[in-house]
Amino acid sequence: MQTLLGAIINGLALGMAYALIAVGYSMVFGVLRLINFSHGSVYAFGAYMVYFFVSLKVGLFPAILIAIVLSGLLALTIVKLALEPLRKKKSIPIATLITTIGMSFIIQNVLSIDYIFGSEKHGFPSLNLFAPIVIGNITIQSSQIIMLVVAVVLLLVLTYVVQKTKIGLAMRAIQQNSRAANMVGVNVNFVISFTFFIGGACAAIAGALIAGYYGIISPTMGSTIGLKAFAAAVVGGIGMLHGAVVGGLVVGVAECLAAQYLGSNVRDPMAFVILILILIIKPTGFFGKKGITKV
Amino acid sequence: MKKLFSVLLTICLLLTSAAMAEGTIKIAVAAPMTGDNAEYGIGFSNAAKLMADEWNAKGGVKIGDEAYQVEIVDFDDKSDSDEAQIIADTIVSDPDIWGVIGHFASGICMVAAPTYQEYEYVNISPTSSHADYSGIGDYIFRNNTVIVVETRTGAEIAVNDLGGKNIGILSIDTEWGQSAGNAMEENIAAVGGNFVLRQEVSTDAVDFATEIANFKAADVDVIMVAGMYGTLAPFAVACKNSDYDVRLVGCSNAYTDNLISIAGDAAEGICAPVSFFAGNPDEKTQEYVKAYTDRYGSAPSALTTQAYDSVGILLEAMERAGKLDREAIKDEMYNTEYDGMSGYTTFDEIGDAQKVFTKIMVKDGAFQLAEF
Repeated sequence: MQTLLGAIINGLALGMAYALIAVGYSMVFGVLRLINFSHGSVYAFGAYMVYFFVSLKVGLFPAILIAIVLSGLLALTIVKLALEPLRKKKSIPIATLITTIGMSFIIQNVLSIDYIFGSEKHGFPSLNLFAPIVIGNITIQSSQIIMLVVAVVLLLVLTYVVQKTKIGLAMRAIQQNSRAANMVGVNVNFVISFTFFIGGACAAIAGALIAGYYGIISPTMGSTIGLKAFAAAVVGGIGMLHGAVVGGLVVGVAECLAAQYLGSNVRDPMAFVILILILIIKPTGFFGKKGITKV
Repeated sequence: MKKLFSVLLTICLLLTSAAMAEGTIKIAVAAPMTGDNAEYGIGFSNAAKLMADEWNAKGGVKIGDEAYQVEIVDFDDKSDSDEAQIIADTIVSDPDIWGVIGHFASGICMVAAPTYQEYEYVNISPTSSHADYSGIGDYIFRNNTVIVVETRTGAEIAVNDLGGKNIGILSIDTEWGQSAGNAMEENIAAVGGNFVLRQEVSTDAVDFATEIANFKAADVDVIMVAGMYGTLAPFAVACKNSDYDVRLVGCSNAYTDNLISIAGDAAEGICAPVSFFAGNPDEKTQEYVKAYTDRYGSAPSALTTQAYDSVGILLEAMERAGKLDREAIKDEMYNTEYDGMSGYTTFDEIGDAQKVFTKIMVKDGAFQLAEF
């Protein structure tokens, strides 16, 4: 019972990490109907920026704030540099998808250049800001609690932005029909850029929190976790923000239970096993709505 | 006219042979220079160059009547089997390369070694410790002990020095990690310890929550880690973060600056068995440590030093062979009696070396001789 409970709590913590990244995927997908595979690398970039500014002794929280802005700008650069020209040329959606994968590799490899950060792992300042909570044999670290709180707050803020603000309305309009939105005066390019900026900022928040939890960063830190978070976003119903959080938790808990009872080797494939199961049983994910294709 | 031509030709030939006498021999260093094991590979290359320069300063390596300058050529295998195979093929297609120092990880060494064997290139791995490695052929050597010997000292630290009641093992899921984990299990039993639990993780794992929970549940008080610093460092951090009071014992690969720079405070108390320790007060050792530190800015590790000695061993064997002949060099390798920085080295009939291990521990943010 103790081990089961322990595995579930570890799974929830890991799940919060996935959820934080998955929210970013969902955010961009919601507007562009585009899976942004550069998200995992922006996440790694965010963590490295925190690491860099902490090493300049600006303090942890200012460092995180700077990293959030810079990661947002990086995501913006990706849009302006690669995605907008493609959109203007009316290229096929798959080209955009491949471009985001390419961007992801570029960012990852730039980070691992020797004169920049190098390809090795680095230590990262701990986010255990207060004493852990100990219940019996189970220890809940403060960084886990911080991750949980931040994920929930982030979810609420983003939901508010999408549902209640003017720019959120514009996002939803573009999601339904970008040409019609343009005709009624929505600045489509601006809204898309804004969405990417928010996505990048989310990635940086996730990067800072997860790196602070594990105490380690590496240029490839975003690749596996990015794919798992993507699986989580699909499991929850991609495009649905609360779905991303629930999906993240489900994948995280499943992974820890699998590692506990089936062995560590089953850990990494678990996210994708769930992904495949969900795609077979309920293709739209837990909360996804069936898309209406307009003719 | 004909006479003049023949005189000119003779002069030309003489000049070329004079140029030949000033020739260089190349030694390849094949190891990961980028990626997670980069510190090891860069250490190999640095150490090899230092050794080569020492020889060159003395006039080079004398083979027969001629002296050759030694040139070290780096190859980055990125700790990747495919890359290692490509590198092995490149190396054996260069007839000026007379020996290969590398690769780093056992699994990678064992991918490349058959190629070196086939083309009769002497291959000395400074680090491979998998039992099957040196058996690949008679051109394949290691200036390292098999993992069973190294983990024996590790097990002694865990059982006798740290007094572990329940000993656990964390191993990475590579060929080396599995064989090291098995060797640890054997050795814990051999020194009379109580082995209770083994957990396996992937090499890039950073989430150890499940493993730590299992170790805690089994009341494990000492864990032997069969992994590189890339696994040991985050694991130490994870143990500290989850308030797990446990002692960690690594392998000789734990002796790197990166372990301390990544894990910080969490590295305190990590122990490891090493064949060479830069803090050894011995005069010759200190001379070498100073030469290395002056040039590269940090002290050499044990594995780096094994690479340093490997180059010396190879060059001495070439001098003894007296000719540039791969088979003769290989035969002379078996007559090695080399008093190097990582101990006195001889090779047995399958090409394995023996080492004496020193116990070290991280204390006050630096490696020190372990006192228990």
